[in-house]
Amino acid sequence: MLDAKLDMKLLEMCSKCGACYSICPSCTHIPGYDPREVVKDIVQGNFEKWLTSSAIWQCLECHYCLEMCYQHYGFENAMTALRTIAAKRGVHPPQVKRGWDMFVKTGKLGEPALPARKKLGLPEPSKSGGEELKKLHVLLKAKRAAKGH
Amino acid sequence: MKEFAVFWGCTIQTRFPFLEKSTRIVLDEFNLPYKDIDGFTCCPEKSLVNNVDHASFVVTAARNVALVDELGLDLVSPCTGCVSNLASVKGELCSHPKEKKEVNELLHEVGRKFTGKAKLQHLVPFFHDSVGVFAIKQKIKKNFNGMRIALHYGCHMMRPSHALRNDDPLNPVKFDNLIAALGATSMQFPTKMMCCGQGLDRVDQHDLALNFARVKLKELKALGADALVLCCPSCFLQFDNNQFLMEKEGEKLGIPVIYFTELLGLALGYTPDELGITSHRVDCAPFLDKWETVSKQAIAAAMDDALNADGAL
Repeated sequence: MLDAKLDMKLLEMCSKCGACYSICPSCTHIPGYDPREVVKDIVQGNFEKWLTSSAIWQCLECHYCLEMCYQHYGFENAMTALRTIAAKRGVHPPQVKRGWDMFVKTGKLGEPALPARKKLGLPEPSKSGGEELKKLHVLLKAKRAAKGH
Repeated sequence: MKEFAVFWGCTIQTRFPFLEKSTRIVLDEFNLPYKDIDGFTCCPEKSLVNNVDHASFVVTAARNVALVDELGLDLVSPCTGCVSNLASVKGELCSHPKEKKEVNELLHEVGRKFTGKAKLQHLVPFFHDSVGVFAIKQKIKKNFNGMRIALHYGCHMMRPSHALRNDDPLNPVKFDNLIAALGATSMQFPTKMMCCGQGLDRVDQHDLALNFARVKLKELKALGADALVLCCPSCFLQFDNNQFLMEKEGEKLGIPVIYFTELLGLALGYTPDELGITSHRVDCAPFLDKWETVSKQAIAAAMDDALNADGAL
């Protein structure tokens, strides 16, 4: 249940629709960006070629497609699935790799700017739950291993 | 009003501590019962964590919500992304009991429990719904009459709507209502609801990110907006920092970017320096100077009206 899943049935309907195309900011402002092509390829089993494409990272996750979608599904789900596979294979953007490493290591994407806080008269930042989250990540990994992933 | 914890998020505390300052100022000014609590981590950032590992995304957010659940608090955040991510996971778990059970089995190991009782709100809908336009109007010392403000909602303030349920996801109005309460005109313009595009910067596509900023800023320049007002650190990064980078390359668009808490703070009588507006990359002086001029003109006009009103004769 906790694993990411793509609903192929909904995606099949999605490949014949495209109601979201005209409202998607990336479709409007990035020449050549057309997730309808991606969805069609996934439905036909040809997703591999998209894994190394920069296009799958151009979905801004603004959720416009989700709001417009007659199935309340949205093609962002297809993009997320492809990005997850790309990340598993290590072909994701360097910045995403760096961010993920920092997140796993510290539970945050950055540490509070202490000198600036002092200058502004802000209180000491609250304690981070980073260590506890690390434990949860270990537990999650063990749970997956037990399931035979 | 129920007590609430403020979820500051990584971006504000790491890059823009002055936004925390102005948020605290307005929360204090309205005597709102907020708390700082220990134990939060990254919300986590969806475009990063969810793309790599959905389970980690769910467990991390569920743990953050569990922290406020346990204390019987609600949660308010000045970051749209944080609230949207936390609310998405809350929605997912509350509508999938099996998944919720699975997550709670993990959380139990570290002594936590997700119930999903806590209300999760972004600061803007919170001010609109829980503080209210009337209370704000009563408290302001100096209004923004005559100022033309371009609002940028930020996609994650109201989307996904099934999780946030706080405004119309395609034609929201609450932020506009708050701007009107401060006396300013909230402009209607074609790219008003366009995504800022900052996400492209996080996947090594900087030039495309700049293009997104350029489209909106150019339009606002042509329409003569006095400022772009928003309430999301990621959108702020996009329009303040990236606009500054374009400026350095010789493309000056000159649109001051003001955080909602700063605008509210100015109306409450705080100075730009106290609110941290002087820490922005793009100069906000054109906005502040015009505000000063317009306010003086309004006082002079009111004085004239009073002097020329029907009198004793």
